[in-house]
Amino acid sequence: MSYAFIVLVVLGIAAAIAVASLLLGARISWVAASLSAVVLFISTGIFDNLMIGVGLFAYNEDTLLRLYVGSAPIEDFAYPLAAVLALPALWELFGRWDPADVRTIIRSSRPISWVNTAYPFAAAYLLSEGNIDSTFVVGTLFFLVPYNLLMYGVNDVFDYESDMRNPRKGGVEGAVLPKRLHRPILVASAITTIPGVIWLLAVGNLVSGILLIACVAGVLAYSVPPVRTKERPVADSITSSLHFVGPAIVGLAFGGATWTPQLVAIIVSFFFWGWASHAFGAVQDVVADREAGIASTATVWGARFTVRLAFLCYAASAVAVLFSGWPGPLAAVLVIPYLFVVAPHWNVTDETSPEANRGWRSFLWLNQIAGFGVTMLLIWFALGD
Amino acid sequence: MPGVYLGLLIFSCAGMVVLDWRHRLFFWKSPMRAACVLAVGLLGFIAWDVWGIGERIFFRGDSPLLVGVNVGHEFPVEELFFLTLLCYMTMNLYSALSRWESGRANRTDEPRIPGSHAPAKDEIA
Repeated sequence: MSYAFIVLVVLGIAAAIAVASLLLGARISWVAASLSAVVLFISTGIFDNLMIGVGLFAYNEDTLLRLYVGSAPIEDFAYPLAAVLALPALWELFGRWDPADVRTIIRSSRPISWVNTAYPFAAAYLLSEGNIDSTFVVGTLFFLVPYNLLMYGVNDVFDYESDMRNPRKGGVEGAVLPKRLHRPILVASAITTIPGVIWLLAVGNLVSGILLIACVAGVLAYSVPPVRTKERPVADSITSSLHFVGPAIVGLAFGGATWTPQLVAIIVSFFFWGWASHAFGAVQDVVADREAGIASTATVWGARFTVRLAFLCYAASAVAVLFSGWPGPLAAVLVIPYLFVVAPHWNVTDETSPEANRGWRSFLWLNQIAGFGVTMLLIWFALGD
Repeated sequence: MPGVYLGLLIFSCAGMVVLDWRHRLFFWKSPMRAACVLAVGLLGFIAWDVWGIGERIFFRGDSPLLVGVNVGHEFPVEELFFLTLLCYMTMNLYSALSRWESGRANRTDEPRIPGSHAPAKDEIA
């Protein structure tokens, strides 16, 4: 690859940042930027020559255009150019943001849940690849923040109408998003997601790339019309579960894991666990969702059926994990508390369905315990390998 | 003489800090904004360097002026300070020049009507 190619890509990105900032309302002082560029170019011309002259770094001549300013390759001038294109634009852009709005947008990505998607990827990648490398870092960061903004932030935008009528939203469990922040959230989701996806597509193979795109598409399909699977019974729980299982599958694909039956058993177990958790979570919203005219597994089939479905899915999760490799079957123990939380609601009616919120709230800490237990098992497994 | 380059970079970065502090240009104008801009700039330039090194386009020289500590493959610790200096200098320059430019624009735009007073800075913003 030639240096010029890299320079073109980088300048393209810097220009895209400048254009995006302008479109988002940043007022860049072009006089100041141009004068800064002049000063930076002159400095680069002087200091790059000095630095090359004393041998601080060297170039592979075959990759250069062989156009020089003194002994400095012309490509090096892309550094100050990229800086002056991107940084003042970002500075002016950030200056237009209200800190309170920024906090609201970050909150819309549910920081409390960030780890739930980053962890499956990180654990799956680390166990199959065995090394911490740049793909691990980028992938984990991607599934930590952008992926969640894409999932919950975008979801909030399209849930606006119904969320306005749901008193449960607004605390740790969700936030009603002012309408003026809808566009900023969509833009922020796109801007944070795209670089990560491009990087991962570039370093992965065909299968991992397809799985990654499917994973991102699934997240969007959940809340974005016309697909909006969250309003389609069964599809709602399945897509929701795949939001969390997906990063694990993507992590395994990027790590080059071998798909043994034992590994599939773990994924299937995780999938049923996610299905159950989503279905049970929808029960508490039956009344609110019905009033808002929103469909879900719970509104269509009723609260009682849904609770029982959740119970059976948890049971299926416990059974599936028994088929994994040792010490995997021990994870079945971690599922049992969920059965105890769901069981008291076995005979719930649509009228008493808001009570299920109590059970759902205990998931918030139960998930931490389950996550801890799974981590211990993974370490045990990794050490025994 | 190992450390000469690093020393000069630190000296130059310190100069940027002094200018920033004295004229309220970057961190002393808006600390959070400045931190975010610098972070994005550094991450971008580091990724660029790592890419270039990975493609074997440029690599560390064996200059005796380097301290010899690498933070990555062919990536000397000095490069981090260099990239910080580049970003900091860009923003100090831009901030100072845009202030100079808006000051100049205000002087020329100002209507020369007797009795009118120059609008306070806050009113314009």
